[in-house]
Amino acid sequence: MALTDADLVARVLVDNDHHAFAELVRNHQSSVRGLLRQLVRADVSLADDLSQETFLRAYKNLRSFRGEARFSTWLYRIAYNCFREEARKRKELVGIDEAQLEGEQDPQTTDPALRHDLAHALQLLPLHERTAILLCCQNGLSHDEAARVLEIPLGTVKTNVLRGREKLKRTLAAWGPK
Amino acid sequence: MDDNLQEDLLDARLREESAYIDDAGFTARVVQKLPAHRVRPSLRALILLGVTLVASVSAYLLSGGGWFIAEGVTRFALLPLPLILLSAAGATILVMAGGLAAAVAKTGGRPK
Repeated sequence: MALTDADLVARVLVDNDHHAFAELVRNHQSSVRGLLRQLVRADVSLADDLSQETFLRAYKNLRSFRGEARFSTWLYRIAYNCFREEARKRKELVGIDEAQLEGEQDPQTTDPALRHDLAHALQLLPLHERTAILLCCQNGLSHDEAARVLEIPLGTVKTNVLRGREKLKRTLAAWGPK
Repeated sequence: MDDNLQEDLLDARLREESAYIDDAGFTARVVQKLPAHRVRPSLRALILLGVTLVASVSAYLLSGGGWFIAEGVTRFALLPLPLILLSAAGATILVMAGGLAAAVAKTGGRPK
């Protein structure tokens, strides 16, 4: 029988079991790396560096995980903090400054080859809406969980998801049927 | 109804976008960077005590019952008093310096 996240966390805490921690990394690496890739706009190398930092921080702070939230939610929060710190540290993120990240891009200026590409449509959204969409619609977090990850009010998350979805639908409709 | 259908399609496409990312050695790289295994404090104390006991018993047996200790103490007691006091002061300073160095090393040189 496969061990649950809680069992694996307990093994790491009690026995400092690196194998148990490796199992946790294996179980969650895809979703954490996927989220960070979308946040850093597909810079795979930077996303993987941030993912690695996320898991190392998780290991060092595992005692602060109280099991009140899902382990994945706790990980997303660390990942999001890593991303924000990196963005702040550089003042720019892979050549795009914070103002641009927060701002919306015009779908009509998109390279026609990239149209119909949902991933690209996501990249056109402002950061706060993109992050809310990624957490709630792609990674299956509830609005409440996303609010905890992003440390913003629940109402703001709901608004960001709603606006983001509307913009996505408009963008995809503007690009025409697949 | 159309709106609902569109929402469902969008959700389905969003979920499709989150395709599984192959591990490709990622987990191994993370595990490699984890801090080294630390021996539990209770186990460490047990090991230290065991090693000390074994070393003491070995030294006692190999030295023929520790005769050299008794002889050393006798010789030391026959030394002039100022020299004994000087030795005691030197030993005290040495122990204090060692304790101070250990305390500084433990706090990383930062004042609390």
